[in-house]
Amino acid sequence: MTTEALQSTEKSGVNIDKGELTHEGDFFTPAVDIYETPEEIVMNVDLPGVAPKDLDIDLSEDTLTIVGKVSENDSEGTDLLVEYRVGHYYRSFLINDAVDRSAISANLNDGALKLKLPKAAKAVPRKIPISAG
Amino acid sequence: MYLWRSGGLRRGDLDMLRRIDSIFSLMNNVRGQSPRQLWTESRLFPLMNVRENADAFEVSTEIPGMKIEDVELKVEGETLTVKGERKAEDTPSGASYHRREIVTGAFQRSLTLPAKIDPDNVLASYKNGILLVTLPKEKRALPKQIKITSD
Repeated sequence: MTTEALQSTEKSGVNIDKGELTHEGDFFTPAVDIYETPEEIVMNVDLPGVAPKDLDIDLSEDTLTIVGKVSENDSEGTDLLVEYRVGHYYRSFLINDAVDRSAISANLNDGALKLKLPKAAKAVPRKIPISAG
Repeated sequence: MYLWRSGGLRRGDLDMLRRIDSIFSLMNNVRGQSPRQLWTESRLFPLMNVRENADAFEVSTEIPGMKIEDVELKVEGETLTVKGERKAEDTPSGASYHRREIVTGAFQRSLTLPAKIDPDNVLASYKNGILLVTLPKEKRALPKQIKITSD
């Protein structure tokens, strides 16, 4: 028995309000962290099993959509234990006007995607210097 | 977010966790998000898939965003132990979280395989956030075809 153990959560399936997916295979909602600094919004998305070439990030109008495809482990053999399911990932986000859309950058490293959404110059708070005299 | 426990869950704990989950799902419904049952669904980390073929076991596990030096693998007899820590990102000062779903923290898990393995030829790879460990079965444990000779 370990004294301290990180616990895992089961992958949850995709719930889409706008329409159903017509792709083949299972889709999961990836876990995401979003934080904001005065200059940018950073999103960390867990996409285990997705190679950079199989990741599709699309921005149309206000919707940022992330689709990650996972290729099935096709090695031979019989499954002794199946604790997690393998499938593609889908999640979409609404992006507000404060983001500079042309400057969004994405980096996928070891199944962890980092999206940086810099704020447009007008949205970055600026201190206005006051001169006396 | 650190999710940890020592010992098992008590019955009262589970009731409480369900209530916490229902509060979260209520809040999520207001915000139009799919509810995630963060507390009652949680289990040992990392989740493992094990596949057996003629001469090896393949253990795969999803641990995205790790540094290889933060993962420790050990084989003792038939037992494989995966140990590591997923560190939380150092956010710049003044950052505020809108959403936090990725779990971070230390983990350790042992898995006993149903046959003797050859510890010298265990291979491990980490690719796209998936740790794949291939454990060849010990030669003696492999079925051997015996030739019958006739005079």
